[in-house]
Amino acid sequence: MNVGVADLGTGLVVGLGNRDRGDDGVGPEVAARVTGLLPDVRVVEHEDPTSLMDLWAGEDPVVIVDAVRSGHHPGTLVVVEAGADAGPLPAEPWAPTGRGGTHALGLAAVLELARALDRLPRRVVVVGIEVAAVGHGVPMSAEVAAAVPAAVEAVVALAEPSGGGR
Amino acid sequence: MTHRLTESGRVLQVDSLARVEGEGAMRVEVRNGEVTDVELRIFEPPRFFEAFLRGRAWTEPPDITARICGICPVAYQMSSCLAIEQACGVTVPEELRLMRRLLYCGEWLESHALHIYFLHAPDFLGYESAIEMARDHRDVVERGLRLKKAGNALMTLVGGRAVHPVNVRVGGFYRLPTRPELQALRPALERGRAEALETVALVAGFDFPDFEQSYEYLSLRSEQGYPLESGSVVTSGGSTFPAAEFGLHVTEEHVARSNALHGRLHGGDDPYVVGPLARYTLCSDQLSPLAQEAARAAGLGPTCRNPFRSIVVRAVELVYAFDEALRIVDGWDGAVAPAVPVPARAGEGHGATEAPRGLLYHRYRLDEDGTILEAQIVPPTSQNQASIEADLRAFVQPRLHLSQEELTRQCEQAIRNYDPCISCATHFLDLHVDRS
Repeated sequence: MNVGVADLGTGLVVGLGNRDRGDDGVGPEVAARVTGLLPDVRVVEHEDPTSLMDLWAGEDPVVIVDAVRSGHHPGTLVVVEAGADAGPLPAEPWAPTGRGGTHALGLAAVLELARALDRLPRRVVVVGIEVAAVGHGVPMSAEVAAAVPAAVEAVVALAEPSGGGR
Repeated sequence: MTHRLTESGRVLQVDSLARVEGEGAMRVEVRNGEVTDVELRIFEPPRFFEAFLRGRAWTEPPDITARICGICPVAYQMSSCLAIEQACGVTVPEELRLMRRLLYCGEWLESHALHIYFLHAPDFLGYESAIEMARDHRDVVERGLRLKKAGNALMTLVGGRAVHPVNVRVGGFYRLPTRPELQALRPALERGRAEALETVALVAGFDFPDFEQSYEYLSLRSEQGYPLESGSVVTSGGSTFPAAEFGLHVTEEHVARSNALHGRLHGGDDPYVVGPLARYTLCSDQLSPLAQEAARAAGLGPTCRNPFRSIVVRAVELVYAFDEALRIVDGWDGAVAPAVPVPARAGEGHGATEAPRGLLYHRYRLDEDGTILEAQIVPPTSQNQASIEADLRAFVQPRLHLSQEELTRQCEQAIRNYDPCISCATHFLDLHVDRS
């Protein structure tokens, strides 16, 4: 869902996830809260990582907010530099989010596919929030809800056109 | 990959089954060299949504059910619209049926292009994933992206946006695209059609395991073209019935290990199959001449019984979807209201359409002010689940001599034959092969 539109090239924030799935909705929630804080940055909520390659064409920097499972405590923020200027992602921390699926590609797969096809923006930062509850229709867990303000702050610092966070 | 011991013997656990996402798990049990059990656990969202829909207004299911799947939202919207409209005694005009069909073509293009190029082709070409494939076959992967993008453009124009279209409503659309807007898509659709033909040629050259199954096939069939947004239900066993009688012929059975319900046809124990193989076998005469020619050139006969060849049928369906989209775009004059009124009334309605992965059935019961009293959703994957397990049972036994890694890879490929919708958004699948 486009929740804010600006000219291309001034930065992009994508909140990935499904609001019907408890903590998996944290990406869209953070994106919604970032909207308006960065007037020149395009902020988008999305569910399908495969669309990223079209969404981020011409954009730099790109900040992606997504739910992750990497073995940390729920609510932990994990910030990973994943753009063309950074090296390939280490396989292991990304395994839990999968490198793809039976009918979709996972975030890590899309990042690496874009790298292989030279379609990866120079700077892509993934802000991951460790999740606890992802059942259908369950509310966001207290730990993840408590992490949202810090995630918003991190995203704003990383996506600011002034180059904040670099 | 980690090894751990359990009381039942050695269990090899693959922490993330490559290119399989969703919440689910596959477990193969082997005892004394015999496959004794195969389980594909699937946790499906429709049960949650059925409960969520009760008490909501009759106008809401297209928007609510679109959220069930990020890959096939149009299927959920179309089946729910048909069911609600039937309950309210409304049939949309032919122009709106065609616009729905056009939107559905966009979804098929996106879904099939993704599955063929990014999920299934790497299996056949021996790559771990599309990433490795892209390094050696950049042009092929770029073509897949262009095909997907053409579907995306169609979804965005007709549906309002590419994921979870917002332009669909009970009774039609909020806004119809204009003829110039549709004509602007022509170059991409024409190029897509040519590249879909190249896709058929590519996948027809893959090596297919010698593996055939005799399951009953079930799909819609329509005299208005290859089945997408409407039709009656037909089976390879010779049954024909309207969507309203779906519940009389297909029963759902709860399986303890999963919260998914397994579909059963005519109360029998044998699996039945929905999806590309069923559609092709039951409706190939309804394909456009170009798609029929592509099917013949790819070596497909009047039926297709090898699930591994589903990738070829998907490619043929890509050709058809482009062909059909161009036909609708060229015939569109836009002189129709975007929607017809659908006044609430007490009643029950049924809707069935062809999602990319097979027939999707919805049923709603409404009270007189349109409040939903009951909702039922039968997705394609729960109908195919028994056949996926039966395939694996037959497939694994003669391949037990393979290494764990190779066996796992081939099992994944066999599961992907059905393009199963395990669950969107959260991404975990564990594979266990348990050999005592």
